Amino acid sequence: MEKEILEHGLNFNRRRFLSSMSLGIGGIALGSLLMPDLFKNGELDEEALVAGMPHFAPKAKRVIYLFQNGAPSQQELFDYKPKLRDLFGKEIPPSVRGNQRLTGMTANQASFPLVGSFVDFKQYGESRAWVSDLLPYTSKIVDDICIVKSMYTEAINHDPALTFLQTGSQQGNRPSMGAWLSYGLGNENKNLPNFTVLLSRGVGNGQGVYSKLWSNGFLDSVHQGVQFSKGEDPVLYLRDPEGMDRKERREMLDNLSELNEISYQEFGDPEITAKVKQYEMAYRMQTAVPEVMDLSKESDDIIKLYGPDCLVPGTFAANCLLARKLSENGVRFVQLYHQGWDQHGNLPFEITKQAKDVDQASAALVTDLKQRGLLDETLVIWGGEFGRTSYTQGKLTQDNYGRDHHPRCFTIWMAGGGIKPGIVYGETDELGYNIASNPVHVHDFQATILHQLGLNHEKLVFKHLGRRYRLTDVSGKVVNDILI
Amino acid sequence: MQIKLKRFAEQLLFASNILIAFLFFFEDKLVIPVWLQTVGRMHPLILHFPIVILLIAMLMEFFRFKTENSTNMFYRNFLQNLLLIGALFAAVTVIMGLFLSREEGYSGELLLWHKWTGLGIFFIASLIYWVRNSSWYKAPIAQSGAILTVIGLVLTGHYGASLTHGDNFIFEPISSRQEMAAVPLEKAVVFNDLIRPVLENKCASCHNPDKLKGELVLTDPESIKKGGKSGKLYVPGNPEVSLLLQRIHLSPDDKKHMPPAGKAQLTPDEIQLLTLWVKENSGFTKKVVDLPVKDPLRLLATARLVPSAKKEEAYDFDAVDEETVKKLNNDYRTVAPLAKESPALSVNIYNRSAFNIKQLDELDEVRQQVVSLNLNKMPVKDEDLKSIARFENLRKLDLNFTDVTGKGLKEITTLKHLQSLTLSGTKVNYKDLQSQISSFKKLKTVSVWDTEISVAEVAQLQKSHTNISVIGGFRDDGKDPLKLNPPQIKNAATVFSQATPLLLKHPIKGVAIRFTTDGSEPDSLRSPVFSDKTILNESVTIKAKAFKEGWYGSDMATFDFFKCTYKPDSVNLLLPLNRVHQAEGAKTFFDNKLGTIGANNPAWANNWAAVRDNDMAIVSEFKKPVTISSVGMHYMIEEDTGIFPPDIVEIWGGPNPDKLKLLDRVKPGLPSKGDKPSLKSLEGTFKPETVTYLKIVARPINKIPDWNKNKGKKALLLVDEMFIN
Repeated sequence: MEKEILEHGLNFNRRRFLSSMSLGIGGIALGSLLMPDLFKNGELDEEALVAGMPHFAPKAKRVIYLFQNGAPSQQELFDYKPKLRDLFGKEIPPSVRGNQRLTGMTANQASFPLVGSFVDFKQYGESRAWVSDLLPYTSKIVDDICIVKSMYTEAINHDPALTFLQTGSQQGNRPSMGAWLSYGLGNENKNLPNFTVLLSRGVGNGQGVYSKLWSNGFLDSVHQGVQFSKGEDPVLYLRDPEGMDRKERREMLDNLSELNEISYQEFGDPEITAKVKQYEMAYRMQTAVPEVMDLSKESDDIIKLYGPDCLVPGTFAANCLLARKLSENGVRFVQLYHQGWDQHGNLPFEITKQAKDVDQASAALVTDLKQRGLLDETLVIWGGEFGRTSYTQGKLTQDNYGRDHHPRCFTIWMAGGGIKPGIVYGETDELGYNIASNPVHVHDFQATILHQLGLNHEKLVFKHLGRRYRLTDVSGKVVNDILI
Repeated sequence: MQIKLKRFAEQLLFASNILIAFLFFFEDKLVIPVWLQTVGRMHPLILHFPIVILLIAMLMEFFRFKTENSTNMFYRNFLQNLLLIGALFAAVTVIMGLFLSREEGYSGELLLWHKWTGLGIFFIASLIYWVRNSSWYKAPIAQSGAILTVIGLVLTGHYGASLTHGDNFIFEPISSRQEMAAVPLEKAVVFNDLIRPVLENKCASCHNPDKLKGELVLTDPESIKKGGKSGKLYVPGNPEVSLLLQRIHLSPDDKKHMPPAGKAQLTPDEIQLLTLWVKENSGFTKKVVDLPVKDPLRLLATARLVPSAKKEEAYDFDAVDEETVKKLNNDYRTVAPLAKESPALSVNIYNRSAFNIKQLDELDEVRQQVVSLNLNKMPVKDEDLKSIARFENLRKLDLNFTDVTGKGLKEITTLKHLQSLTLSGTKVNYKDLQSQISSFKKLKTVSVWDTEISVAEVAQLQKSHTNISVIGGFRDDGKDPLKLNPPQIKNAATVFSQATPLLLKHPIKGVAIRFTTDGSEPDSLRSPVFSDKTILNESVTIKAKAFKEGWYGSDMATFDFFKCTYKPDSVNLLLPLNRVHQAEGAKTFFDNKLGTIGANNPAWANNWAAVRDNDMAIVSEFKKPVTISSVGMHYMIEEDTGIFPPDIVEIWGGPNPDKLKLLDRVKPGLPSKGDKPSLKSLEGTFKPETVTYLKIVARPINKIPDWNKNKGKKALLLVDEMFIN
C-alpha cells in the first residue's frame, strides 16, 4: 500500500499535470461550443427577443387605457365601506393609519375624521359586485369586467404617481407603457402610429398631463405616443400645404429619403432611419387618419350607446369612440387621459358630475368592443394613479367633504384581453385604508398587462447608459389569479 | 483493465469534471442545438447505469478496508475500475440531463433539487476516485462517503422520477383521489366532485377516523353531518351561523382559524365553494346541472370542472421561414407570427380603397399557417369567401362590416377549426346563419350585432346553440331615452361689428334647435326652429335647446352676442394692470375674444385683464371722429375668490384729449353671498356724442363687504372686452 502511494506521488509529475490541465481546458472548449453568447460581453439575446414580436402567444393584441387622471375616489365608486358611514366624524385609529406619510395638504390637519360615501351602493350582475349609484352604466357591465380593489402605488402626488404608473419610474425620461408595447410588439397597421394619445377634461379639479407621459424615453422615437387633438387637424402638420398634391409629396419624400440615406451612411445615427420611417408613416397617415377620425358614419345605435357627447370632439365620450376606432384599426395602445378627478374638497358635488361624464362612454366602449368580437383581443383598463383617503380633507359637514391622496389602496377595472370577466379581486380593510388581501403593486399590474400581450416583462428590456431597463424596473409579478 | 485504457478513462473523467463545472457555471447562457437535444433525451436511458454501478461500487467501498477485502487483489482492482466507470457514466448522465433540462417544460423547484443532487453524486464519486488512495483516506471516510453517495442516488432518483411521472406516481392508483377534470360537467355531483376533494385535500389529514382532531371527521357524509366537539359543523342554508364557515373565515393569525397555520390553506375559490355549498343547502346528492344556469355555485363549479386552456395551442403544421413571411408584408397587409417561434400567422388587411381579393390569394404559400384573418371593413363579397376558405386552419375570422351576406357562409363551413367569427355590420340574416351555424363544429363565438338578425332571433339562435356564444350587442329599444346635448355655436366670435348671421349647430343629425332672443326659455313647440336665416343686428342673448324624436330635449344653452360697432384705432393704458393678469395689455379690450370662468381654463390667462390696486383706465383714439351713444364692459364675478364687479365706471369723451367731457357714470350692483361665478356686462348710455378720444375708467371695489370671507380687502376687477356703439 505504502509503495503504491509513493508510486502514485512520483508518477504525478509536471508532464502529467500539464496534460491533465490541457484536458480541462479541452473540457471548457467543448462546453463553450454550446454557449454562443458566452464571450459577447454579457449581452442578452435582446435582438432575438425584441424583434417586435410577442415572446409567447398573446391573449390581447391591443390596449385601450382609460386613464382617470387626478385619482377617482374608490370609496364613492367601487369600494363599498358601510362601516365608514357608521363611523362618520370619528377619528381614524392610529393603528390603521400607521406611519403612512401625508401630503402637504393634510399634513397640518389637526384631526382626521372618517367619512363614508354620500352615495349608495348596490350589487349587480352575476358577480354581485358592489357599484355605487354614480355609475349606472358601469354597473350594467360588471359581468364583463374585473374589478381590482387592491391596487397600491409608491407615490403620493399626481405627477410622480402618474409617471410611475405609465413608465414604471417616478422620475420622467423612461419610456411609457405604450412605447414599450410598440417596441415589444411592432406594428399591426403600418398606416397608423402604434401608440396614440387622446386628452379630455372633466368638470372637476384638473391636474396637468404632460407629453413626458407618452414619451419614448430612450427607445427609438418611432415608439413615441402621437397625440390626436380635437380640432380640424387631429394630427398636427399632417395636412399637405395648399398647392401641393399627393404626387409632389411622394416625389419630395423620395428625394428626401435619398438624402437621408446618404447621411445615414455617413453618420450611422439610427435616428435618421427612424425619421425616414416617420415621414413615410405620415404620408400614409394622410389618408388613414381622416378615415379613422370620421365619426359621421357611426350608426344611431352607437350614438345612443356612447351618449350624444360622443360626437362632440374633445369630450371623453368622443375619445372613447375614437379609441375604439383606432384600436379596431390596429393601433396597439390607445391612451386616454380624462382630467378632473382630484376632489380634495366639495367631493360629493364634483364627483357626481365627473362620474356622469365618463360612466356611459366607458361602459359603452366595453360593450362596443364585445359586439364586434374584439373584446377578447383588446384589453381595456379604467383607473387613476392612486386612491383617496378614508378621512376627510378640510371641513367635514353632513353633506360635504373632501378626500386627500392615498397611495395604499385604490380600485381599477380591466376588461377583455384574457382577463377573467365578472370577478372582484383583492379586498381592503373595513375602513378602506389598507389592503386586506391580494395586493397588486403597480409593477405587478404592468407585468400583467405585458403578459397579456405575450411579453415577458423580465425579458422586455432595453440597454441604455450601461444597464438594462424594463417597464417593471426590478420587480413585478404577473397576477395570475385574474387571468382566464 | 489495461493501463493505457485506464489512463485514458481517468483523463476523460478529469476533463468531464472541468466541463461539467463549466457548464453549470454558465448554465444560463447554454443554447442546445437541435441535434444535441436527442442526446439530452437519452438521459432517462443512461441514468440507470450510474445508479446501479455506483450502488455496487459504494457497497464495495464501504467494506473496502476489511482485511480480507483490502488484501484481495481482484477486489481492489475491480472496485477501482467500477468506481471509474460509474463516475464516467455519472458524468455522461449529468451532461445529458443538463441538455434535457434546457428544453421547454422543465423548471421549478423539483428540477433544481434533482439537478443539484445529481451533480453532487458526480462530484462526490469523482472526488472519492481521486482521493481514495491518499494516506488519510481511511475506513470512516470511505464509509461516510459511500453512504453520502447512496443517499444522493436515492434522492436524485426520487426527484427525477417525480419530474417525469409526477408527484405521487406510485401511490396514485391506490389512493382514492379523483382527478377533477375527469368528471364531466353533466355527471358532476356538487358534494362528491367539488366539496369532497377540497375537504380531503385540505382538512382530512387531521379530521379523519384515525386522527379525529376536535372529534371531527370530514371523510364521509354521515360524520360531516354529525359535526365535532364544538357542535354541528353547519346549518344548511344559513352560512352566518355555520361553524365550518366561521372557522375558515377567521383571520389566519387566529388560533381557531382552519386550516391551522403551517398547513396548506384554502384558496379563495375553495372558501367560496364551501360558503355557497352551505348557503344553497346543496346537500350531498345534488348534481351541478340541477342548479340554475346563472347560479354562482354552478358558475364556480363549471370553472373548476372544465379545465382552463392555459397551455398554448399546439398546431399541427410547420412554420414557414421568416423571409417568406417578411416578403408578404406590405403597407396595407400585415402578416406576422402569433409569437416568436410560433408557426401560426395572423393577417390583417387595411385600407378599403386599396382592397382586392388578390391580397388574399397572394398568401397561398402560407395558407396553412394563417390562423387569424382580419378583414374588418374591407369590401369582401360572397364570392371572395372561396379564397378565405383556403385558409384551412383559421381560428379567428373577422368579417365585420364587409359586404358578405348569409348566402356566402356555406363557402367557409369547411373551416373546421374556426372558433370565432365576427359578422357584425354585415347583411347576414337569421335564416342563412341558422342553417349554416351548426356546420362550424368548433365555433365558440359569433357576433351578429348591427345585422338583419333581430334581438329575438339572436335569443333564438343562442337557445338552439348553447355551445356557441351569440353576441347580439346593443340595440336601442327606445325604452330608455337619453338627453340630447345642448346646441353649439358655430360663429367664429360672439363679438361682432356689423349685422351677422346666427350660426348654431348640433352634432346629431336631424335635431331641431329651437331658440329665443328675449331671454326666455325656449320650448319644444312655440319657439322658432333655427335655420340659417337669423341675422343679428344688436347685442343679444340667445337661448337655445335641441329636440329630437326619441330623445329628451337638451339642457338650455345660452350664447351672449355683443355688438361693438366702433373699434378704436389705438388704445393706451393710463394705469398699469395687475402683474399676473396682463392678458394682451390694452389690446385685450377690443380683440373680440371673450374669456371664460375657471382658472384652469387656458382662455382664462389670455383673455382677462385685471386691476386691484388702481383704476382700470384706458384712452382710446379714433382716427376719424365717431358718433357714439353707449359703452359696454364685460366682466367676471367670483365672490369666493374676491373677484367683484367695478365699484363705478366713468365714460369720458370728446375731440380733445385734454378736455374730455363726462358722458356717463355707471354703478353696477354688487353680488350677494353664495352667488355662483358668472359673467356680466354693464352698459353706459348717453346722448349721441361725436368723439375722437374716449376715456374709460373703472374703479375696483376698495373694501370687500363684510359678508365675504375676503372682507375689508381690495377686490380684483377682471375685464375681457368693451363695446362701443
